[in-house]
Parts: sequence; structure tokens; C-alpha cells
Amino acid sequence: MHNSRKVRLNMRADRKETLRYLGYRGQEIDPVTAQIIEETAAELEQGSSPKSIYREYDCQVSGNTVNIGGLEIHSHNLAVNLRGCVRAVLLAATIGRAADFMIRKYTVSNMAKMSVVQAAGAACIESYVDEVQNEIQRNAKERGLYLRPRFSPGYGDFALEYQKDIFRMLECEKRIGITLTEGNLMMPSKSVTAVIGLTYKEQESCHMKSCSLCAKTDCEFRQEGEQS
Amino acid sequence: MSFKERLGKELLFFDGAMGTMLQERGLTSGELPEVWNAERAEVILDIHRQYLKAGCDIIKANTFGANPFKMKGTGYTCEELTGKGIEIAKRAIAQSGRKAYAALDIGSLGRLLEPLGDLSFEEAYEAFLPMCVAGEQAGADLCLIETMNDTYEIKAAVLAAKEHTNLPIVVTMVFDESGKLLTGADLEAAVAMLEGLKVDALGLNCGFGPDVMQGFLPKLREATSLPIVVNPNAGLPVVVDGKTCFHVGPQEFAGVMKKIAREGISVMGGCCGTTPAHLRALVDACRDLAPMELRDKNRSVVSSYTHAVEFDSPKIIGERINPTGKSRLKQALRDNDLEYIYKEALAQQDKGAHILDVNVGLPEINEVEMMRAAITGLQGITDLPLQIDTSDPEAMEVAMRLYNGKPLLNSVNGKQESMDAVFPLAAKYGGMVVCLTLDEHGIPDTAQGRIKIAEKIIAEAAKYGIAKKDLLIDTLAMTISTGQDNAKITLDALHEVRHVLGVHTTLGVSNISFGLPQRERVNTAFFTMALSQGLSAGIINPNSEAMMAAYHSYCALSGSDSQCQSYIAKYSKQEAQAKAQSSDSGEIRLFDAVVRGLAESANQAAKKELKTRKPLEVIDEELIPALDQVGQGFENKTVFLPQLLMSADAAKAGFDAIKEHLQANGDASESKGVIVIATVKGDIHDIGKNIVKVLLENYGFQVIDLGKDVDPELVVETAKKHQVKLVGLSALMTTTVANMEVTIKLLKEELPDCKVMVGGAVLTQTYADLIGADFYSKDAMGSIRYANELFQV
Repeated sequence: MHNSRKVRLNMRADRKETLRYLGYRGQEIDPVTAQIIEETAAELEQGSSPKSIYREYDCQVSGNTVNIGGLEIHSHNLAVNLRGCVRAVLLAATIGRAADFMIRKYTVSNMAKMSVVQAAGAACIESYVDEVQNEIQRNAKERGLYLRPRFSPGYGDFALEYQKDIFRMLECEKRIGITLTEGNLMMPSKSVTAVIGLTYKEQESCHMKSCSLCAKTDCEFRQEGEQS
Repeated sequence: MSFKERLGKELLFFDGAMGTMLQERGLTSGELPEVWNAERAEVILDIHRQYLKAGCDIIKANTFGANPFKMKGTGYTCEELTGKGIEIAKRAIAQSGRKAYAALDIGSLGRLLEPLGDLSFEEAYEAFLPMCVAGEQAGADLCLIETMNDTYEIKAAVLAAKEHTNLPIVVTMVFDESGKLLTGADLEAAVAMLEGLKVDALGLNCGFGPDVMQGFLPKLREATSLPIVVNPNAGLPVVVDGKTCFHVGPQEFAGVMKKIAREGISVMGGCCGTTPAHLRALVDACRDLAPMELRDKNRSVVSSYTHAVEFDSPKIIGERINPTGKSRLKQALRDNDLEYIYKEALAQQDKGAHILDVNVGLPEINEVEMMRAAITGLQGITDLPLQIDTSDPEAMEVAMRLYNGKPLLNSVNGKQESMDAVFPLAAKYGGMVVCLTLDEHGIPDTAQGRIKIAEKIIAEAAKYGIAKKDLLIDTLAMTISTGQDNAKITLDALHEVRHVLGVHTTLGVSNISFGLPQRERVNTAFFTMALSQGLSAGIINPNSEAMMAAYHSYCALSGSDSQCQSYIAKYSKQEAQAKAQSSDSGEIRLFDAVVRGLAESANQAAKKELKTRKPLEVIDEELIPALDQVGQGFENKTVFLPQLLMSADAAKAGFDAIKEHLQANGDASESKGVIVIATVKGDIHDIGKNIVKVLLENYGFQVIDLGKDVDPELVVETAKKHQVKLVGLSALMTTTVANMEVTIKLLKEELPDCKVMVGGAVLTQTYADLIGADFYSKDAMGSIRYANELFQV
């Protein structure tokens, strides 16, 4: 049906997003800072090797239990997100190990650059996942299906423990090189896993942002304008 | 005949996929295939039988994931399922009546090794060990380490197999489109390490179909002298209805493989998606082909975890990480200040070093432990190959074991005792060896004498199977201040070693000028002379502009710098920089340098201030007010994070100058108080904590940084030991805040007076109150304010 594994050889860190992750609020950026941001983001782009994989499964929701291709997930928030979905995509993506290496290196030699890698890395993985999601959307549209917002383990009450199952089903380690730590955190750190529900009803493809589920209402990065 | 006897002499055939076949027989994606060795052995036996019938010579036993990590919770042990897997393969072979071999199949552990992941090298080794032992006991004929994408994990597996079995070892890896492993290692780096470890064959599997793999082969053949193995997938995986499918059919598969076979392959077979039909077509198409004769590529290479460095043109070995004559480094070693070593490493890399010497020996420290820490840490921050420099064989072995690549060893000499200690290590772990031309009788004062020792060392190395290509002979630069002919003796010997004996050479270049004024003048001239006599690698200080200029000029002059490209790239840029600097040469005050975040200027300005003012004055009247101004700007949001950190780095550079000044005068710097910080157990996100650390240090606190994923007990123990008033904890994830709570509880029980400040993405004031923290720091500056208040600065 469609290619499940995607590799891109170049990557772009959106500079506006990078600044947003750096906590930028319209301060004056002197030329030295500007150069550091540009240089570091470019170095990260150069070193990144984005990879992703996704697979589509049947999806049933009953009460607070979701079944995706045989995987049973107990989560109220995810169930709400997937209500009415007939299919669901499991997705994993990473920009590779360069960001982690650079963060270690610059923690020693240049803290400002370290912060830029962190921010640019976050911008990279987000825009890369958006790109993969667009591909999924195009694909779904051909079949009259609409996408729900992507939802990741760790959001709301969707427990991090399910990472193990998602990793097994997508063969993340073997196909795109992401592994889990004992605490179910992903390495390389600039990686994302998510569930994306597919529904036949356009009006049900709500645009709820995941921020609305987060309890940290004073977060600097909280996306504005979403319903809570 | 054994597998090893036939390997490389005739074309041998691995079997195809096991997983694909098992899925057809009903294995679900949640099940572990190895469990079927115990529960559905007849299915495994039948699959092996089909591959044997198709003509395969080597059967991969169903043991790929039988490691202790994956076996946890299955009700079976690693040993049980590994043993059973081999037994089934052996039974199938016996029943077939064919001469075939059972391979103990070892796949990845599924955990990432340090420094990126949370699994240590020795833990990985321990996990592979029981598989290797059980596999050999059950009668495996060879060990296949496959579908690997991290050279470090491969090394752990190879060592486990080598140290506990006598099985031949075959390693196949998964490279991506760009020809790299997921760790960023290129083909040459992987080959250098594996040849050093003396595996029996190496190659590629999984990832792609045969067509894409074909593209990698010319490069692989160029790099390795070993037999090559190719086990591709039946094309790229495609997912249909949640199931992985492969679309290259048997005939197409065999067709491409036949072309590949002609390119010098010794063993071929299949991976994901290949079936007995694929393998039958493959064997039919290639049965009568002979493997290409193996040829020694005779390359002198060392490698890091990303790339190989070949001595095909002169190379720079950075000498700065060596305490001899360096009081600041000695102090850093005594203080266990690894960060200083890392900075030296990165500075030399920036200046263009190709390899870094690492010598951390001091009589008063535990060299083995320091070497372990330095090698591990350096591999996390630099991708340059390392030269392990020690006279302690134990430290050398520890470093070689932990080294992710093929290292350079410094050094062996003509003394029997030295050769007896170093060559077995080089033979076992792989590596190039620096050989000093001195022996029991000292350093010969003639070129001929040194050449004789070189010949002796070469002959002794050969006994261990260490070829000339893996030696770097050092004909020893001795200062010309004590002997007029010293340079000539060294260079004559060097020339003969390089051009007559045909062995690569190295020198500790700067020794030549010991005792003379203006040493750099002599050093650069001597360096150029040595290069023109055939010096393969100069051990020099890359921070010396003049030495690097001599090197780049030599490369341009000798024709090894094509069209002077590197020379032009390096020095045309420098001209522009020099111009820019001279137009901006206005003196910068220390205060301004910190506010503007200019580290180098801050260091210079601090040095200048110290000529007329007391250190404390410089701190209190320049550094701290500058930091305060930037910190306030950060809190008022007129300054944002990178600017704050640039200032922090600049202040640090200023403090470094002050520390050096104090040390030179025999004074110690005073700390405002000791603070323990840590990222809590289970959490590996330590960026925020590292920022807090730098800022606290800037403000004069002594920070004991316990790192990330830290046990609550260690936090308490350290806080107790140093009787600290303040502990800082960070956690990024909701799940790990639970461990923060545990740590706080334990701290409060054991040290009721110790305050705890917390920070991290998911925390809020309410949350912090809930888990019993004394202070919630919203950002990095918050922790400074709290610490200052608490210590009443």
C-alpha cells in the first residue's frame, strides 16, 4: 500500500521555531549570537540523518480501551482522541544521533551552541514528523480517510510503558535505529513516536492540540489558541 | 573440512530468512521467535530442512534474539533457547546428510550503549557471553554476529565470542543509503576495527535488496582484506495492512546476486523476505562460480567510531593530553577534572589534529581508572581516533577494550619485556603500534643502531601476526643542544625505515629543541625536514600556528594537497579574519567581554586586570556584576538563553585566568559553598542541570555534578559526605518526577537540614510543593538567586 520507511538526507531546522524553543521573545539579537545560531543549526542539519517508519492497523475503541492491530492500550485520553476511528497509524521518527553528540560536545566547549543544538534539534524533529504526517494524510485522503491529531506515549494518561509495544510493532531499533532506555525514554533523544487515528468523518477530525491535555499551564512553549 | 578451511576458497551459501518463514507459520508480532525452539521445534527444523534442500551450506540457528535482555519474562533462559536453537540446526544438518554448518546467530541486544544509551560496554559484553558459551557447547560451527548497526556493540559481541569460544567469527552490518551505520560509522571505520579484532569474515546484511547492496561493494572490497559476506533482503520492506512484505522474487534476487558474486564475494545468502525458493535460485545461479582470490590491501589505518585515518599522507597527532611538563593538566588529573581534558581534545581537533594522544599517568593517581574514565569520556565528545599512551600494560588493556575502533598504541620499544607486554594486546584487540627504537642498552647514537632495533621489533611483531603495516617506527628525536649530529641521526634512520624497511614512521618532534631558546623556530624547520625524509605522523602541538603552517605548507609543496586546496581553504580564510580582527582591535574591558559573551576576550582581559588588581577585586567588581546584569536581563527577557550562556562561558574563561593566576602564586580559589546536583534516576535529560551547573560555578559555588540517571542513594551519600546545605535535582518527564520525590524523601530523612531545589520541564510550583521540594526554580537564574540567598552571599 505504501512505503513504510522514509529516509531523507537533508534536514532543515526552521529558524523561527529554533528561536521559539530558545525562549526568544523579540530580544535584540547581536551579530555574534546570530552567527552562533546560524553556524550551529547548519552543523546540526549537516549531521542529521532523519529516518522514519509507520504502519497502519485496524483500530477499535471501547470505553477507555483502544485496540490497535491487536495492541490493547488503556488510556482515557487516547480513547477520546481515537473515538470513531477505524484505522490508526503507528509512527516513529528520528533525526539521528548527531544532535546528542553535539550536545555532549558543546556542553564542554560552548554552552550557547549546546542550547542551539537542543532547540534546533527540537525544531528539526517536529518539522520532520509534520512532513511524514503530511504523507500519511495524502495517502489517507485518497481512501476518504481523515487524520486525528497525533498523540504520543507520555501525553495525558497514555503511559510511557506502551513505547515497548510500539517499538516491537514498528521494529524501530532495526529499521530506524531508535532504542529505549530502561525507563522507556528514546535514544537518540530527538525522536518521536505517535499514534494517528484515521476516520471517515471529516467533522470528527478535530484539531485539538496536545497542549490542551498538559497540566503545565504556565509553560513557555504552550501552543496558543487551542481548546482545553 | 571445517567452515574456516573452506571460507574464501570456495563460494559458500548462507540460508535465507527465518523470521519471514515463521510469520507465515503463524508467529505474531508480539512473539519472540526463539521461544519456538522450545515450543514448536518441529517448525524450526522444517525451515532449516528446506534451506538445506535448497543447497545452503550454512544454517543460521534460530538464536538471533536469545540474549538475556530479550529472554526476560519468557520463562526460558538465554542458555536454554540458544542451546536448543543450535541443536535443532545440527539435527536438520545431520538429517540432510549434507556437509553443512550451524551458525550461532547473534543479533543486537536492543539497547543502546553508552555514551548515547544507558548500557555500559561491559554490560553488553556480559549479555553476549552466555549466548556464545551455550552456542559452542551445543555444537555450533561458527558465530555469526549480524544485523548490527553499532561498532561498539559489535566489539562487545566479538570479544565475548573470542574470549570464551574457539568459533570462527563472521560479522555482518546494516549500512544506510549514505553508506554509514546508524552510529555514523563509515565502512572503512567498521572494517578497520573488525580486521583489528581479527574476525574471519565481514560484510553486509538486511536493510536493502541486493541491487542497493551492490553499490557498497566496490568500497568494501577496497577497504578489506577479509572474505566478504552478503546477505541482502528480498528488496526494501513494504508494509501492507500492518504486515511487512518484500517484493523481489527468487529469479530477480538470484540474477543480481550472480552479478555481485563476480565482484569478489566469499559467502552469500539472504535476510528478511528471502525464502527457500530465493536460495535455491541463488545456489543454482552461482554454484559454479569461484570466489575472487583474497588480496592483502596493506593499508595502515587507525579508526574512531566514525571514520578511519590512513597513513597514506602525513598526519598530525595532537600531543597536548600528556601531563609531562604541563602543571595545569597535572592539577586537572589530580582533581579528577575530566572537563579540562575534553577541552584540550576539542581545541586540538579544531586546530586540525587527526589523532589525539591520551596520556593520563601521574604517580599519585590511579592511572587505570583515570584511563578508563578519559577514554570513555573522550569518545563521547570527539570523533578523532585516539592514541593510547601509557607504560602501564593494565591501563593499556583497559583502554583498548573500551576503545570503539582501532587505536594507536604508544608505545612498545626494543626491550623484550616491553614487546612481551604490548604485542599480545595489539594482536588481540587490534591497533597500530608506535615502536621506539631503544632497547635494554638505551638509545643507540647511530642511525644504524636504531634501524637494527626497528628490524628487531618488526621481526618480533611478526611472531604475533602483527604486520609491518600496523607499526609506526619512532626513530627518536633527541635535542640538538646536547649533540650536534642528533637531528641527522634521527632523520637518517627515519629515511631508511620508511624507504628501505617500508614501515611508517613517527616522531615526538619538539624534543629536538629541548634546552634551546625560541624552540618553535627549530621545531618547524625540523618538522619540515622530517616530513621530507618520510615522516608519516608528527606528534606535535596543534595549537602552535607555526607547526601547523609548516605541515600545511609541506603538504602543498610535496603534492599531497591536491591543487593546494586545503592550504588555500585554510589560509585565505585566515587572512580575512586577521583583517577583521585588526579593524576591531579596540580593547575590551572584562565587564563588557562577559556581557557581550566573548570568551577569548574575557580571558585576555582578566589576565590584564590581574596585573594591577587583586583576584577578589576582579571577581567582585567585574565578573559578578557583569553576570548579574546579564542574569537580570534574562529574567526581564531582554536577554535570551544563548546570550546568557555565551556570557556564562565568557565568565568561565575569565575565572580560568584567575584560577591559573592563583595557582601560579600557590593560592587556592575559595568556594562560596558546596552544592550537589543531579538529574534523577530514570531520566537522561540533563541539559537544564548542566546549564545550572555552569551558572552556579560562575557565581563561585563548588558544584558536585553526579550526572544523569542518578540513584537516590548516591545523591544522599554524596550530600552526607560533603555535608552540603543544598542539593539541586532535575527531571524532565512526569514519570521521573516520581523518582525526584523518592530522592527528596530520602534526603529529608537522612539530612533534615539540607535544602532541595528542583527544576525541569514538567514541574510547577504546586507539583514541587507536593513532592516536598524547598524551592522550585522556574529557570536557571532562579537557582542562582536561591543559592545566593541560602549561602547569604
